Parts: sequence; structure tokens; C-alpha cells
Amino acid sequence: MARGNKEVLAKLEQIVGPDYVSNEEAVLLPYSWDLTWAEPRMPDYVVMPKTVTEIQRILRLANHLRIPVIPYVNATNIGGLCIPEEGGIVMDLKRMDRIIKIDPETCYAIIEPGVSHAQLSATLKATNPQWEGYEFSKGFEFGWGVHPASASVLAMAINHGIGHLNGRIGINSQLISSMEVVLPTGEVVKLGSCAFSDSWHSFLPLPRMDGLFVGWMGTTGIVTKLGIWIFPIRPYKDVLTIAAETAHDMTRYMVHWRHYSLCDEVTAVSWWLAQIPIPYPYQEKPKDAPEWFSYTVISGWSEEELEYKRKMWKKVVEEERARGTKLIDFEYPPEAKRGRTELPSRIVGSTKNYSKSCGGGLAWPGTFAPCKSWPILYEKWKEIYIRHNLSPAVRFTDFQGAHYGMLRLMTPFDKRDPDSVRRAKEAMVECVRVGIPLGMLPYKPPVEYVNELNAAADAGYVYLMAKIKDMLDPNNIMNPGKLGIR
Amino acid sequence: MALVLKRTDMKELAQIYDRISMCTQCGNCKYGYEYGPTENFAAMLCPQGDKYQFEAYRGSKGKAALAKGLLSGMIQWSDKAAHVIYTCIGCGACVEMCETDIKDYLLRMFEALKSETWKQNVAIPEGVRKWSSTIRENRNPYLEKHENRLDWLPASIRETLPKKAEYIYFVGCTASYRQKNIALATVKLLQKLKVDFTVVPDEWCCASPLLRTGQYDVAKEFIEHNKELPEKYGASAFITTCAGCYRTLSIDYQKDPPEGYTDKFGKANFKVIHTIQLVEDMIKKGEIEFEGSFNNVVTYHDPCHLGRHAKVYDSPRNVLQAIPGLKLVEMYRSKKFSFCCGAGGGVRGGYPDYSIETAIKRVREAESTGASVITCVCPFCWRNLSDAISALKSSMKMMDITEILEPIVKKK
Ligand SMILES: Cc1cc2nc3c(=O)[nH]c(=O)nc-3n(C[C@H](O)[C@H](O)[C@H](O)COP(=O)(O)OP(=O)(O)OC[C@H]3O[C@@H](n4cnc5c(N)ncnc54)[C@H](O)[C@@H]3O)c2cc1C
Ligand code: SF4
Ligand code: SF4
Repeated sequence: MARGNKEVLAKLEQIVGPDYVSNEEAVLLPYSWDLTWAEPRMPDYVVMPKTVTEIQRILRLANHLRIPVIPYVNATNIGGLCIPEEGGIVMDLKRMDRIIKIDPETCYAIIEPGVSHAQLSATLKATNPQWEGYEFSKGFEFGWGVHPASASVLAMAINHGIGHLNGRIGINSQLISSMEVVLPTGEVVKLGSCAFSDSWHSFLPLPRMDGLFVGWMGTTGIVTKLGIWIFPIRPYKDVLTIAAETAHDMTRYMVHWRHYSLCDEVTAVSWWLAQIPIPYPYQEKPKDAPEWFSYTVISGWSEEELEYKRKMWKKVVEEERARGTKLIDFEYPPEAKRGRTELPSRIVGSTKNYSKSCGGGLAWPGTFAPCKSWPILYEKWKEIYIRHNLSPAVRFTDFQGAHYGMLRLMTPFDKRDPDSVRRAKEAMVECVRVGIPLGMLPYKPPVEYVNELNAAADAGYVYLMAKIKDMLDPNNIMNPGKLGIR
Repeated sequence: MALVLKRTDMKELAQIYDRISMCTQCGNCKYGYEYGPTENFAAMLCPQGDKYQFEAYRGSKGKAALAKGLLSGMIQWSDKAAHVIYTCIGCGACVEMCETDIKDYLLRMFEALKSETWKQNVAIPEGVRKWSSTIRENRNPYLEKHENRLDWLPASIRETLPKKAEYIYFVGCTASYRQKNIALATVKLLQKLKVDFTVVPDEWCCASPLLRTGQYDVAKEFIEHNKELPEKYGASAFITTCAGCYRTLSIDYQKDPPEGYTDKFGKANFKVIHTIQLVEDMIKKGEIEFEGSFNNVVTYHDPCHLGRHAKVYDSPRNVLQAIPGLKLVEMYRSKKFSFCCGAGGGVRGGYPDYSIETAIKRVREAESTGASVITCVCPFCWRNLSDAISALKSSMKMMDITEILEPIVKKK
């Protein structure tokens, strides 16, 4: 069955060629939903451009005809962000998959939207000619997350993605160094050092105009090239683990350890998230099992450096114990250690840990929150989840500095059962609602969370957001419905 | 969003809906990937996605989505749906990447989707329809007469074969009617190795093409017929040189779902051995002597039916490495991450251009290794890769491993 209309189809075919546009339902279907509870909505067309010029022409056409355009790479964002709320054209960017440049001297890469984590990590690992023979010769890395390896590096970075280096150097949107964007109205702009020379190394000291496209979920333009910082892989790594009875004790230990800025990452998971897969529906934790498990990844250029970090970590644990924090020794199984040190990983980088056997649904209240609110919110979230017969599979991850971090509740649910879907959605929205007053902000937020955010937001914040959106996208064609304001 | 099963009339799909619904749409299956101290692999493995690009065509995600969409009544059957279904080769590369409980059911799902198309008014590829309409009469999908099945076998050899034997060499349709070179090399090899075998005139198609295209009712007849052959000829096992026959006789005939079809056709119980396993075993036991060498650089193409489907990766490599003078070089995409030749799943007959385009990609990869010979243990792969070599005017030579072995071995 075909959708849309023939004239638009013909025009899109003229732009990208007939092989790369379709309005057939069987082809459109996978673009209509994702892992989450979001209601499916069919696009009318899908188009797969290869060049910036093709993107410009598609956007001009869409503006002329007032047709929505939804940027799409793999739709693994766990927020329904690529679902065409109002139909229109899904712009699948996977054909733009060039790693345009890797500059090992200035330590940056330039990538297109379709470059997957798999592709980039394999290429970076094999890159390092100038440091042959040095400790640096293990290749480069970026902040790898635990998502499917097919996911886009660019889409992750421009939406504040969280990678394994977040403790050492910040989240991935902080590692963007330059970008090229096609504005909704079709003009191409360069931002950062690449606007002045061929060097894509930095935004600073310029005004941070990249902020107009980072965290906007494809509602302000199409990012066509991204400069990202890359880092030499450190040859020495270890994973140190400790458990705790309560979220409060776990947070105290994590913040203490983070103050030293000695780790690449420190993460804690509740008992429910430590199970593979997460129990669905809710299952009681065995009485004798600790409620919290944590790992911290340390890395270095020598065994001595690693040993120093281990020593400091032990000191933190001992000092915390002396203060009355109840920390319990436990060892990670080797497979789990591998999963944490060899990223992006097949071991954790899949849905098997989360939603292996429960009926296809996966979503989260994925949020950034100040560390001090973690234990408070955990108790609230736990109550909400148990009430909805769901496992409180919570994760804390401290970002660079001990200011704030990720507070996330990975939630499998059964898509075969409307009641399961409803319960999961209600529980997650309630979690977001109780969190916002405590400083918690959802990332890559689904429409329902955006509505909660907007209801709580400062009026000036919403005013400026709407003004920027109107300025950049006067016909509101870019991923409409996602900001909750237009 | 809930996806409630509504179309229970699509029985083949509906009965595995509980497994299909385990697909999260995560998309892991769209790209091959492995990372670790010794591994650093990343490559597109799905030939269908590589050609048709859209999500529906990439990895199992697209097909699982289609199955869910059809079963929940979100979309209706269409020619395009049939295109998405039939351009999937069933190579199983996506299966290697999937980590949820749909994983083991993916191959079955691809075939169940194809099976449903026969009940709908949709465009099944003409090439598939054509051989399907005559296979009952001909007992092969090549539109050839059954009486001619043994034409490849010279009378001089035929006369020497016993009526009853320990093994039946199950030749398969491709080697019987097209790649006769492989059938001939195999009987000569088996005779040199003094294997007690015979070839039978009433061998029918193993039913692989029927199962791979979801034609279960027709397949039944073939399976029931072939199942009787070992007893009839007093044999204890089948030997095959075809990866497709090997998979079908050893898995589809014998294993319970989701791997096999014992739920539909009952359980057969006989041994199936691929020639390459027999040779490997004899080499290990010191029963084979090489009388010559094969002084070439060779790359091995893993047939999906023998590799990913039956997990036989090492036997052919062990045999190749034992051949004097032969230097084995691997393609980047090999073993579980091999790239399909493009022939299976009804694609060669249904979409010849796409099929050959896929084989061309594989031959280019083989060329990049510096090898002068592509070898393999499947007449169907042989045929497609060989056609691609011709299309490319490549200097590479296609050889089955039996063709390499036959002139230079003898039994100790
Ligand atoms: C099991 C699992 C684990 C995950 N773990 C992590 C994790 O550890 N860290 C993390 O950060 N994420 C994680 N994610 C979320 C997700 O995988 C990442 O954010 C991912 O990088 C998104 O890539 P994608 O190709 O799926 O992008 P999409 O989902 O296709 O796109 C994401 C958003 O970006 C927009 N967009 C895409 N391309 C462009 C462009 N060129 N210009 C403008 N807008 C664009 C889209 O419209 C959409 O709003 C996880 C997901 C899953 C399923
Ligand atoms: S088939 Fe498996 S890997 Fe592919 S999308 Fe579904 S769950 Fe993910
Ligand atoms: S079986 Fe092969 S062709 Fe079909 S979706 Fe999987 S990888 Fe692609």
C-alpha cells in the first residue's frame, strides 16, 4: 500500500534517485515505531540522501510544501524521537557513512551521520601511525556507550550521549569540536574552527552557536558533519568493584571517589539492573543480596599509575567505612569486566541485558541529576515501580567532577500486552514528575517527559526556546511535536 | 504502543509470535561487530540491506517489524511486503548479532514469512514461481527431467558402484544438473579414498529450495521420500558435497524447532556427513597421502548453510591447511561473519541481478586477499561466485575443495 502523493514522491525521486525514496507501507513500517511505548505513526515517505546538496534540496522542497522532516539514523534513542508525530518525510541518513578524516596530531575525527559506533571504533583502534612504538600505539577511542554498535556516533553526540569516558572527560556532547549543519530552510552553515579553516579542532573561543543544534533532537537542522575529539587508548586498565546496602551509602562512596578525578567512569547499579536480563515483572530481591553494586574503571599509561589509582581507591573505601558507610566487597565476573573495559562491547552493548525475553518493550526515565538527589529519588522511584509491578533497575553514573550524573531506570515491558505498556508508561512519567523539582532533567526526552519539563520550566526558558525554533525553522518542519511548544 | 496478535489466520507466523515479539527493534542485527583484545571487526554483513538500504531490508530488524506489522494488523499484505520478504537471502548473518529470545527463531521466521506469501495475493518472484510449478514433476528446481539426474555420471564409474553401501552420496540438484564437475570430482575422490559408497537414481531434491521459500506442503513429499533412502539401500549415512543438502538433511530433517522442521515432517534419524568432514577425519587418522601439491594462494568462502547454519567452520580450513603447497588466506569477512554469495533463499532464481551483484561484492573481497583461487564446499555458492568471476572478468579461479583434492590424494 502506498502513502503520500505521487507528485511529492516524484520530486524526491528527482533529488535522490528512485532507489532511495519510498512511500510503500512495507518499507515505511519500521520507521513508525521504536523500542519504547510511543504510539506508532506512519511517515508518508522515507528518503535516503547521500550528499549535503541532496539534503538541502529535500529541505527546500519540504519547506515549500510544509511537510515535516524527521532526521533518522537507527532510532535507538529510547525516546520515540524519530517517530513522525505528524507523518511526513523520514530522512534516513545511513548512506552518509564516511569517516571523512582522522587527524592523529590534533586528535579529532570528522564523521558523517551514518557512521556507526562499530565502524568508528574499529577504524580508530587501527589508527595511530605517528606513535608507533609508544604507549600511545593502541589506537584512539571516543566515548563509547552501551548501545547497539549500529547506532550513530553523530546522533549520540549531538543528543548528549553518555560514553565510557564520561568520568574522565565529560559526556559526548562536550567532545564535539566543530560541525556542519543544513538549516531547516536549506542553507549550509559551518560552526567552530571549521568555519574559518580546514581545521575541525574546537568551538572555543567563538560564541557557542553549536548549542542551537545540540540537545534539540533533530528539531533545528540536519547536522551533516561533526568534528569530535578522539583520545589515545590507554594501555593499562582495571575494574574495581564494591557493593553497598543502600543508595545513600553507594552515593557517598561514589562522590568521595569522584572528587579525586582518577577514574574513567564510576557507575552503580541496583540489584535489579545487575540481573541479566532485568526481571520482568517485578521480583523481590533475595534478602541476603546487597541492593547496590558498583564498578569503577581506572586506566593509565603504566602499571605504576594504575597501582597508584588502586591505592587511592582503597583509601577512599577504607575512609568511607571508617565514617560508617556500609560497603561490601564483591568481585565482578571476568565476562562483566571485559564488557566494561572493551567498549563498545557486544557483551553489554545489546538489549540482552535489558529486554531479552519480555516482549520487546524497552524504555527509561533517562535523566541527568545532581548526585545528592540520587538516593532520595531512588527511594521514590522504587516505590513507584514496585507499585506498577516493575523492577527498579536503576543506574547512577557520575560525570566529570562530582556535580551531577546519570540517573536512569532501564525498563523492559511486554508490547504484546496493552496493560503492560500502559503501566510502564505511567510509572516512567511519574518518575520524571517527582524528579524535576529535585534537579533531575530527562535526556533525549519522549514527548510525555517534554510536557512535564515544559510545565515546570521557567517561562523565559520556554519563550526563548520557541523564539529560536521559530527563527531557525519558520515553517516548523523539523521533527515537529518533539519540543512540546509548536 | 501495544502490538496485539490479531491475525491468527497467518498460522506459520502466529505460532511463533511469542518469539517474534521478543525483538526489541534494537538494530544490533544491522551490522557485524566484534571488539576485544584480539578482535576488532566491523562490517556490513547483510547483503539485502547493502543492496536495498532501507530499514525494512537491513538485518532481521526489518523482517521482524514486518511480521509484527502484519500480525497486529498494522499493515496489509502487498507486493512490496513480498519484495522485502523474498530479497532476504536467509544467510543468517543477522542472527549472529541478535541477543534476544527471537534469535533462534529468526531463520524460521524468514521462512514462515515466505510461507505466508503463498496464501496471499502478492507478487512472488517469477523465477521462484516458475521452478516451484514444475518441481513436483521434475523432482529438482532446475526444470530438468528427473530421468536425467545421473547423466553426469560416466557409465564406467556407474558400473563400479555397489547397489548397497555404507554411504549414499547425496549429490544434490545443483551438482547433478549444473556443477557436474563437482559431482564427478566427488565420486572420483571417494573412490580414491576407498569409501564404501553408492549413488542412487531415486534421489530427489533434498527440499532445501522448498523450505527456504516456505513451501512446506510440497517439501513434505520430498522429505518423506528421501528419508526412506538409507534403509532402502542399506546405508547408515548420507555423504553430501552440497552445504544446502547438508543443512537440510542434518538439521531440517532431524532437529526440533526452531532449527529443524520435525514438527512438520517427523524426525528422521540417520547420519549426515559432508565430504570435507570425511576427508578431515581421514587426514587426522593418517589415512590420506598426498601425491602432489597445489601451489596456489587460496581463500575459502564459508557457505552460509554449512558455516552459520551448521557451525562447520574448521573442517574445510583444516583440510586446506593440510594440502601441500596451498597457502590459505582469509577474507576479512569470514566464518560467522562471512558475507553470503547471494544465491540462497530463492534469490538467485527470483532476483538474478541482485544475486550476482552480491556475488560480485564477495569476489571483490576475495580478490583483495591476493589469492588466485576461491574455494568452497557448496555447488550453489560455486555457481554464483563463478558467474560473478565471469561478470567481473576476474583472473580468479573458482574451485570446490574436492576438485583441489581429487587429483593429489590417495588412501594410505
Ligand atoms: C540498549 C541500549 C543502550 C543504550 N545505551 C546508551 C548509552 O550508553 N549512551 C547513550 O548515549 N545512549 C545510549 N542509548 C541510546 C542511543 O543508542 C544513542 O543515543 C544512539 O547513539 C542514537 O543513535 P541512533 O543512530 O539510533 O540515532 P537516532 O535515534 O536515529 O537519532 C537520535 C536523535 O537525533 C536526531 N538526529 C539523528 N541524526 C541527526 C542529524 N544528522 N542531525 C540532526 N538530528 C539528528 C533524530 O531525529 C533523533 O531525534 C542506548 C540505546 C539502547 C537501545
Ligand atoms: S532481530 Fe534481534 S538484533 Fe535485530 S532488532 Fe530484533 S532484537 Fe535487535
Ligand atoms: S538473513 Fe541475511 S539477508 Fe536476510 S536479513 Fe539476515 S543478514 Fe540480511
